[in-house]
Formats: sequence, structure tokens, C-alpha cells
Amino acid sequence: MPARHKLLSLWLLLSGITLFAGLFCAAWLESQIQPTGNLRIVIWGASLASALLVFLLGLILEVRLMRPLRHLQVQVARMAANPDAKDDYPAEGWLEILQPDLNLLRQGWRQDRGLLTDARIQGAKDAARIRQELEALLQVLKLPLLLCDHHQRLLLFNPAAEELFADNPALGLGRRLQELLPAPSLIDALQNLPKDGSARQLLLPHQNRWYLCDLRRVVASQGEALLILEDTTERQQSDIRWRKPLSTLLPALRGHAANLATAGELLSNGGTTAELNQRLQLAMQEDSQALSGLINELAKLLETLHLDQGQLTDTWSNDLWQALTPSLNQLEINLTPIGIPLWLKADTPSLLSLLQRLLLLLTEVTGEKAFEAEIQLGNNRAYLDLIWHGKPLHLKLLKEWSELPLANEEISPRLGDILRRHSSDWWSLADANKAFARLRIPLPAATRVYPPLPTLEARPEFHDFSIADLPPPTNELGQLALNQLELVVFDTETTGLELRKGDKVISIGACRIINGRLLSQEVFDQKVNPGRSIPPASTKIHGLVDADVDKSPPMSVVLPHFRKFVGNGVLVAHNAAFDLLAVTLEGAETGIEFTMPVLDTLLLSRGLDKNLEGHGLDALAKRFQLTFPPNTRHTALGDAQVTAELLLALLPRLEARGIYTLQDALALQNTVLNSNH
Amino acid sequence: MAKVLVVDDEPNIVLSLEFLMQQAGFDVTTALDGESALALVNENPPDLVLLDISLPGISGFEVLEQLRNQPSFKRLPIVMLTAHGREVEREKGLALGADDYITKPFSTRQLVEKVQTLLNESSPNSQEN
Repeated sequence: MPARHKLLSLWLLLSGITLFAGLFCAAWLESQIQPTGNLRIVIWGASLASALLVFLLGLILEVRLMRPLRHLQVQVARMAANPDAKDDYPAEGWLEILQPDLNLLRQGWRQDRGLLTDARIQGAKDAARIRQELEALLQVLKLPLLLCDHHQRLLLFNPAAEELFADNPALGLGRRLQELLPAPSLIDALQNLPKDGSARQLLLPHQNRWYLCDLRRVVASQGEALLILEDTTERQQSDIRWRKPLSTLLPALRGHAANLATAGELLSNGGTTAELNQRLQLAMQEDSQALSGLINELAKLLETLHLDQGQLTDTWSNDLWQALTPSLNQLEINLTPIGIPLWLKADTPSLLSLLQRLLLLLTEVTGEKAFEAEIQLGNNRAYLDLIWHGKPLHLKLLKEWSELPLANEEISPRLGDILRRHSSDWWSLADANKAFARLRIPLPAATRVYPPLPTLEARPEFHDFSIADLPPPTNELGQLALNQLELVVFDTETTGLELRKGDKVISIGACRIINGRLLSQEVFDQKVNPGRSIPPASTKIHGLVDADVDKSPPMSVVLPHFRKFVGNGVLVAHNAAFDLLAVTLEGAETGIEFTMPVLDTLLLSRGLDKNLEGHGLDALAKRFQLTFPPNTRHTALGDAQVTAELLLALLPRLEARGIYTLQDALALQNTVLNSNH
Repeated sequence: MAKVLVVDDEPNIVLSLEFLMQQAGFDVTTALDGESALALVNENPPDLVLLDISLPGISGFEVLEQLRNQPSFKRLPIVMLTAHGREVEREKGLALGADDYITKPFSTRQLVEKVQTLLNESSPNSQEN
């Protein structure tokens, strides 16, 4: 029972005892002396006065001392947890006298913090400028690049690496490289890199892909290593696609050609019998038919080879239209993309020039200023269609256009050259309703399916060099300081609270704290199809309905990804018992375990402020004035982020009470749990 | 006897195809370029055209387009012949209204079978069925 409740109970008990004692005393005197008039009033008044006194004294103590003390406690906790919080509790009651000193302390505390921040900003200014330049450079660098410290923890990765490992949740600052690329040869190579910075190359197989990895030690660093990766899967497969058939096709071609030559020679020499002539003719017929078949195969192979080896890159159709829009706006041509966006292979700059020129020509010929653009998937091809209201174009005109130069320069390629560069051609056809016509350009389709990653913010968190200063990763997690731990804060939304009776997870959100810093870019946010309907009662809490999760993967698919995101991190949740049960129950079915230590902000908060009531996430967010974006509360990711902010607010207060390490924090949690029992 | 028009700029191929078609029992006329092919079709409409894509002057695709633009030749069976064999040409030919597409070198037996099938499909008797 909290101390406040004990005091309240004591006060009420004392008031009750004195009241009953007074009543008993008055009743006894009444029976003994049977007073009348004023004497009776005096006896009853005197008997009940002590009860009234105790009650009033308690009330005065609560209003003038206890409540102000509680407010002071919250105020001090808020100052420690969130020094920048705007609102203050004024000192009240008998503590009012402390107000000037409290103001002084608060002001001094904030001023000192301000000075410290200014000093830090000033000191980091030059470093920040260099960092910004580095970031700008890394942002545009197309080579996937990773930097790790001598414990093989990731200190930096660029957007190209992020794109390369888009489906791999093991990419994250502070994460171990072997989680991302678990190849013993890589770890060996990293440990034995030459100190002079010369490069080593490795071909790494991972998750059905081949990565060519260029490794080198960063000279004059603390053993940091730079990895440049190249996904060579396509190249390797393309090699296999043509080398192997070519090696079987050529001998077969030679064989049939030799047979034909021999038969032709024998026939032209004469002197053969009629029977032999017939057999030779039959053989020639068979060989020429076989040759035809082989030449067809060769032609197909050469076409594949041409497509594979061209300078064509994967292009997202929406990016193509977006890149085209500014120049079309200047020409007052309106192009509306329709249909589903797709990936295609294109030499994007030349294709953009071609499309711009084409739309101008189409405007001249059709008189139209509004066009639609559609990409459709055909047989290994993506059809790029420009659509207008009117009739299709004649081939004669298209033939003339294909001879036009792309720009008014002598060396400019012709429009037909751009088509040939894409192994393409064009033609025009009418739509079924005859009202619209389209110009069709078939382009090689790309193998990618999913839309590109959203564009990153201007300054994403993709590096943290201070990770290199962290202690080496050991098995003795418990000895590590709380602010040096890799923490994965997570939350789940479920169909209800009865997890053991069939309620299921419908959303998991998680974020990562490294080095005492919440990484805003490293999040896990996944809706889950629970395989059952969501009761309206739980929809009221998280706002999710069946339609929101219908198309999401089931937990058996999501959980391995989540486990990979957690990696070697320590789990954190608010009321962790519930969220942990939600994932472990599902994990039991898929064989995925969460055996790492778990921190619970609910227990930590109770341990810190035993005398305060209200340790729910909402109450604590309010107490410490934690800020979060609107409409994010009661979403899995939103709650995980608020929990992370809460934990960061609790860390200095834990340290102030001598709770430095994970072991200390777990011990505090246990104390709270035991006292509850 | 069904009439077949062979259009190709290679005299050797024209000679072979003429012989092959005659052997199969067709009445064969030949043309070495697009213009004369169009003139021949209009003069003496054939029952089927074997049309090469690479022709001097107007290409096989343009001949195909012009024939398909004339209502009387909307249903005339046209088989495209090409030495390139690129997938995109096949798609273009079919999109413009060709009935079939054959890559050189081709099997003579298959060509004759294809021609016979197309002629059977387009004959008035088969349409009635």
C-alpha cells in the first residue's frame, strides 16, 4: 500500500476512534449525571471536540503540507526527467516559503543546461558542417556503403545500402554486421584487413543473392572498416542465362553445318547411287531444319544478352512521369499518368528526352494538349503508352519521326536510336472504343515488384560515430550501463486483452535507442492479419478495423522480421508482461524465442515514485510533459515511441538513485514486483 | 485454286517460296517491294499474303497497315516473314493486324501447314460453320 494511503487510513482511523470514544464518554456521562440545559451541550461538545480536532488537524495537514509535498515531488521529478517542460507547479501551503528558492534553483538549472547546450552546439559547429557535407555526399552516392567499428558494429550506412537491404530489418546503427551478412568469411576478412587501407574483395552469398564486397580498413581510425557492396546476382544470373546455352548451341550449330557441307560436297561431286542421293537429301533436310531451330534459339539468346548488357537501369514509372512534368508544364502540355505504376528498364535520361520530344510532336500532329500515360505489363515487357483523344498515327509518320534528331545538334542521336537502345520499336493503335488512340513503346520490364522506398528526409540518422566508443559487446549485458545499451522499445495492439483465450496481435511497432538516443528513422511498424475479426470494443482503443489488417501478413510472417529487428537488443515495453506474452505466445507456434532481458517502464516508474499514483503511459506522458505527434497515441509505433521517450526521461532519475546498469534496473523491477505480491 | 502472294526482296527466297507454294497446290504471284505488292493486291486480290518486313521503300509493316485500312482487306490472311526474329517485331506485326509471324530460317513443312490452316479458316465454307 502506498505511504499516502497508509497515512490517510491512519488519519481516518484516529478520527473514527476519537469520535467513538467521545460518543462513548458523552453517553456514559449522560447516564451518570443526567445533565440538562447548557451542561448537557457542554458535555456533548467537549466529548466530540477531540474527534473534530483530529479530523481538522488531518485536513489542514493534507491541504497545507501533504498535497504541496506531492506537487513538489512531481515538480522535482519533472525537472529531472524533462528539464525543458514548460509548466511548473507553484509551491503551496506551508511550502510557499520555498517558492523563491525553488525559482532560483529551477532558473539556475535551466540556465546551466542552456549554457551547456550552447557550448556543445558551438563546439560541434565545425564538426557538423563536415558531417553535413559527408551526409550530402553519401546521400547521392549510388554505391551501397557500410562503415563498422572494430567490434563490427555499424556506425554508418548510406541510402543506397538502405535500398539494397530494404527487406532486411537487421540494418541499423549499432547492429552487428554478422546479423546483416552472416558469413564467417566476412568476419575473418574484417579481422585480418591490412592496416595500410588496401582493399580485399569477397563474394558473399546471402538470402539468395550474391554480394561483391570490397573491404578496407579506414586509415588512421580505431580499426574501423569500410564495406562497399554490389549486388551481383543479376550479373551472375545473366552470365548463366547466356553462357551455358551458348556453350551447348555452338557445337550443335557446327555439327549440323558440317553435316550439310559434307552432304552438299558428296552430291556436287557426283557418282553417288540413287539410294545414297535420297539418303543424303533426307539428311540435308533434317540438318537444315535443326539449323533453323538452333538459329532461332541463338537469336533469342542474343536479344536477352543485348537487354542484359545495355546501359538500362531499373526505373519506377512514377519517377519517370514526375521528372517529365516540369518541362511539360513549360510547354503547357498536360500529361496524366493512369494505371498501376511499374518498374521498367530504361536509359532514363535519353528516354525522358524522347518522351518530351514525342509529346511535342504529338501535340503538333493531333492538336491535343492533354495526354494520358499508362504503363502496362506484357510478356517480359512494360508497354509505355501515350494516349490522346483522336485517331492512331500512320507508320509512315512514325518512320519519319524515328529519323528526327533528339536535339538540334549534329551529334544528337535520332529518336529511332533511342528506341534501338531499348531494343524497342513503336506503333500506334486505336482503343477498343475508337475514341482514343495510343502510341505504344514496349520497354524491357524490370524484375523488381515493390514500389521504391519513400524519399528520405534531408538529414536522416544513418550514422553515429560515437557507437565506436561503446564498450565491446559481451555476454555480460547486465554489467552494461543503461545508456550504453541497445534498446528496442516495442508495443503491440491486439484484438483484446485475453491473449491466452485467443486474442491476437494486430499491429507491432518498435523503435531503437542506441547510446541513449532514440533513432527516428529506425522503426518497425507492421500491421498483422490476426485471422479473426477485431471486436468493436478494441477498435475503440486503437481505431483498427478488419479492413485495415485484411491484406497484412499473418504473425507467422511478421514475427521473424520483428525478431530480426530486435537482434541483440534489450526489449523495453510499458507493462511489458502483456506485450511480451503477445509475441511469445505467437513465437511458441513459429519457434521464435525472445530470451533477452526485458525492461518495463511501468515497473521502473513505480520503483522510482512509490508515493505517486498513476503510472499508466498517459499519466506518465502528462507528468513528464512528453511530446508526441498528434494521432500517434494508441498506435503500436506511437506508443512504442512515447515509451522510448519515457525511458529516456527516467534514465537520469535512475542514475541519480544509483541505478546505472541493466542489472540494477532489473533488480529494481524485481523489488517492485515482489512488493506488489 | 487458292491464290498466294509472296512479297520479299530476296529473289532466292521468292523463288523457293514460289516453288514450295506451287508444289502445295497454290496459284502463286510474287512481288519484290511494297509498292508493287500493294498494286498487285488491288489488281488481283489474293487469298493469302506472305509478307517480308524488310522491303525497299515502304516496309512490310506499312504494307500491312495500308491493307488493313482498306475494308476489303480487313480479313485477308497475312503472314509476316522476318530475318530479325526480335520479339518486339512480332508484337508490332500482330498489333498491326498480321495473322501470324514466321522467323527466317523456317521449316518449309510448317510454313505450308500454316498457310493451309489460315486459308481453311478464312474460306467462306469455314466461316459459315
